[in-house]
Amino acid sequence: MANSITLRVITPDTVALDTTVDSVVLPGIDGKLGVLSGHATMVTALDIGELRYNSGGSEASMFVAGGFAEIRDNTLRVVTEAGEDALTIDETRAKHAQERAQQRIDEGDEEIDLVRAKAAMRRAAARITISSLRGHR
Amino acid sequence: MAGIKELRLRIKSVGNIKQITRAMEMVSTTKLRRFQDRAIASRPYADEIAGLVGRLAGELGEDLNDRPLFQQGKGEKVLCLVVSSDRGLCGAYNTNVFRKLEAWKAEQTEEVEFFTIGKKAEAYLKTNGHVNKRDIIDPPLEQMDYRSAAVVAGMLVKAFESGEYKSVWILGTDFVSMARYVPRATQFLPIEAGALGAGDEKVGGDVILEPSAGEIFDALVPRYLETQIYNMTLESLTSEYASRRFAMKNATEAANDMQALLKGMYNRKRQEGITTELLDIVGGAAAVAS
Repeated sequence: MANSITLRVITPDTVALDTTVDSVVLPGIDGKLGVLSGHATMVTALDIGELRYNSGGSEASMFVAGGFAEIRDNTLRVVTEAGEDALTIDETRAKHAQERAQQRIDEGDEEIDLVRAKAAMRRAAARITISSLRGHR
Repeated sequence: MAGIKELRLRIKSVGNIKQITRAMEMVSTTKLRRFQDRAIASRPYADEIAGLVGRLAGELGEDLNDRPLFQQGKGEKVLCLVVSSDRGLCGAYNTNVFRKLEAWKAEQTEEVEFFTIGKKAEAYLKTNGHVNKRDIIDPPLEQMDYRSAAVVAGMLVKAFESGEYKSVWILGTDFVSMARYVPRATQFLPIEAGALGAGDEKVGGDVILEPSAGEIFDALVPRYLETQIYNMTLESLTSEYASRRFAMKNATEAANDMQALLKGMYNRKRQEGITTELLDIVGGAAAVAS
């Protein structure tokens, strides 16, 4: 297809997604970012959030835990620590993670732990949002 | 000469050992495959990060050397993270790691301190009078996932940034093939710009960089260091199990040989017994007949 781009989501454990799509919306660090075929070469940092992609009229969504995206030669490579399809997100687990993170923040130990707890908190919150959004579509 | 009863017992005990070593060989084969799969699965991510780091480093050029992680530390000492196994019975795996450790240490002109992963390394450092500053036991090596590897990388970066060390090294085992695993010491920090492949390939032409090359780069570098640690732990684990499988295979074969040898002895003994008995009977019969 002439107007399609290759989307690859790469995590430390696996290549979570390798497919051809029509358009992608990335959770860029400075806001959402749409990518279509023929996009200029770009490297960007990503925020924790939702990656949406459209192929053949159907839309799918994915959770990404920050990371980076590189677009070149009509290939979009997303390099992230975690990428999960919205439909496979374990909501109960995310809720538990959120509670644990909240607990750690409340206890407020060392500074370094706080940073990590806050990141964990944001990941859990994003997972829950994405997962519940999917459920209502 | 051992009696016939003792021989039977020995054959049995060798058989028992053989059962154990064979079971361990099979367990090692499974685990080996698992860690190898994980090592292979982790490669695209590591390659991607390394590629990005290299291209952005090319973009940054001389600015690279202003970054603290690229400059030699102010400290007088050298820190080294050693990865060994938690358990024994894995052939020469740990011995090779420690031999490399001594060789590497001999090359250092500065005072050397260690971080360890794996009980064997901890025990070795203790008995040989090396300085072990930190023993990373949680999670155990075999359960190390990317996130915990990231925590370890963070510890090393923090140690380096504390200004106590001049450089930080990591010593693990490279998995070359099923029969070859080579311990290797690599400089972890400061990062050597040359090792990034900087300048080989720039991002090239008109590239949109969001937020900026420097900011992306600074966010990338920790990831890059994490992948290095993760990769090293996986390669070391794969090597450990390859080595263990090999050792257990040899042990099983040795037990087989030993069993065959003992069986031969046992049969000869038994035959001897029968012959003596027969001679007795024949002799007795002859005496009665005459």
